[in-house]
Amino acid sequence: MSAVIEAKGLTKHYGKRTAVAGIDFSIPAGRIVGLIGPNGSGKTTTLKAALGLIPFEGELSVLGYDPRTQRDQLMQDVCFIADVAILPRWLRVRDAVDFVAGVHPRFNRAKAERYLAGTKLAPGMKVKEMSKGMIVQLHLALVMAIDARLLVLDEPTLGLDILYRKQFYQNLLEDYFDEHKTIVITTHQVEEVEHILTDLMFIRDGRIVLAASMEEIGERFVEVMVPQEKLSAANALQPLDRRTVFGKAVMLFDAGPGGASRQQLAALGETRNPSVADLFVATMKGTYA
Amino acid sequence: MNTIASGHTQANTMKWLLKREFWENKGSMFWAPVVVAALLVLLVGSSIVYGVTVHGAPAYVSINGHTVSDGALSALPVETRTMVANMAGGMVLAAAAPLFILLAFVVFFYCLGALYDERRDRSILFWKSLPVSDGQTIASKAATAMLVAPLITIVLATLASFILLFVIGTALSLHGINVFSAVLASPGLLLTPLRLVAVLPVYVVWALPTVGWLMLVSSWAKSKPFLWAVGVPVVVNVVMKSINAGLETMTGQSLLLAHYVGDLVARILGGVVPGIWFTFPGHQPTHIQAAANGFDIVGLVPQSYLSLAGLDAWIGALLGIGMLVVAVRLRRWRDEG
Repeated sequence: MSAVIEAKGLTKHYGKRTAVAGIDFSIPAGRIVGLIGPNGSGKTTTLKAALGLIPFEGELSVLGYDPRTQRDQLMQDVCFIADVAILPRWLRVRDAVDFVAGVHPRFNRAKAERYLAGTKLAPGMKVKEMSKGMIVQLHLALVMAIDARLLVLDEPTLGLDILYRKQFYQNLLEDYFDEHKTIVITTHQVEEVEHILTDLMFIRDGRIVLAASMEEIGERFVEVMVPQEKLSAANALQPLDRRTVFGKAVMLFDAGPGGASRQQLAALGETRNPSVADLFVATMKGTYA
Repeated sequence: MNTIASGHTQANTMKWLLKREFWENKGSMFWAPVVVAALLVLLVGSSIVYGVTVHGAPAYVSINGHTVSDGALSALPVETRTMVANMAGGMVLAAAAPLFILLAFVVFFYCLGALYDERRDRSILFWKSLPVSDGQTIASKAATAMLVAPLITIVLATLASFILLFVIGTALSLHGINVFSAVLASPGLLLTPLRLVAVLPVYVVWALPTVGWLMLVSSWAKSKPFLWAVGVPVVVNVVMKSINAGLETMTGQSLLLAHYVGDLVARILGGVVPGIWFTFPGHQPTHIQAAANGFDIVGLVPQSYLSLAGLDAWIGALLGIGMLVVAVRLRRWRDEG
């Protein structure tokens, strides 16, 4: 059992609309995968299929289980935060910790209490008395204390301020993650996760348009600052994207097989690795057109 | 080894699921009956104490032809004394009647919201992120409706009744009538709460069709579960009755089914009312009617169990379990909205 998630021809229709159009992918153990796509691209649908929350067509195996028929076994080893944190209004912090400790064999109470100590949450506080950010903090403290083999985070930091977001990703990497665990994250704040990701998957209109490890991406994509006189030469190499920064043209090239070579690009001007955000924008061009 | 370990965790999970239901519904399941019980003690107690204080204690009480005066209860024959105690037990139950009516409403609306509210507030996505199956969840909710809520009511009803009895006894004893020794010494009175607990299994059997139906609607309805839960049976009833009326005027024949639809609707919506089993044909509580001088508490247990002798109760219970199973299947693919 090498892959944690293995999908073959995963398809999901909502009525006549196709949310996920027969995608194939494989996520090995010990990776942190960013599933990135614009709104309505099918990323949440893909995750919901993997978590056994919706029926689907095609093949999908998560930790060796079929999420359609073996959800109960699957949930022993999987934890997730779906979309925005949604905890019931009547729940108290104290009761939430007790409850998860009571039903989850892999819950570490001391860890949860340590995370909670880093927030303004008091044990007697009810969810309805909390700000949106505090609810997310409580939810994250509960989930991070669960020693799950697969953790799925769908927009985990929505509503959190920058201080806590940074703190959260740092905890996730230093305190939670190890080589036996796999984390799948979707988020709109690409720039905040890119330094913790090991793999990247871009999804658009229900299809995966790019799936690669961060090393591969670093090798493949090159951004070049092209001076005025070399513009036509650069355009001939078919850049993926171009923009202008301080009067200088910045072009993004795919230097993978079949594309421009590194030497060609270096001759055009100063080269550097593009950010995931820039790569994302270039790949998703025309999505809302 | 493995089965023992998983068996232990399953029991543990169930304990926490029941606690969760209690936390969520503390207001309706605990505080509402507490307030009603307190009001009962206050209102009934104060009016009796007022009556005794202002008008004085009754000079004599006539029980079954025996005149009891000046606390000479102990002079009565043993059978009569037992009867008095049993009547006191019945009074205890009667005093708690508002609590049992409240129970019916609490259980009804609890079941209706049990699987709907978690979708409306989207917390279902949190509950589903934990290793708890849909079957366990629904079992815990059904147990809360049919066991936890009635047990809380029984405990509170007993407490309220004994406080009332104590208040009345104290008021009477201030006027020289000592009823404590006779009443408290009778096993009939002290057995009343146990009798109520003993009837609980009968309640479960008769409540199952209603609990099953309400939870099914709660799991299925996209919106307005109350309208669906009440509307569907009522509309079916009206349609059947009007078809039947039409047939009768046109052909002179009547649909046999039409006569049962009313009963069916009553069982599907009213099953959570304690004692509903006494109202169905074939289960007339003959002994209770015979005890004309008060509600005979002794008859409660055997009469209730007699209602299980017919097939009707069990068919309803099986249907209820079937509807709960459908509710489990529905929750499997339900997420928010």
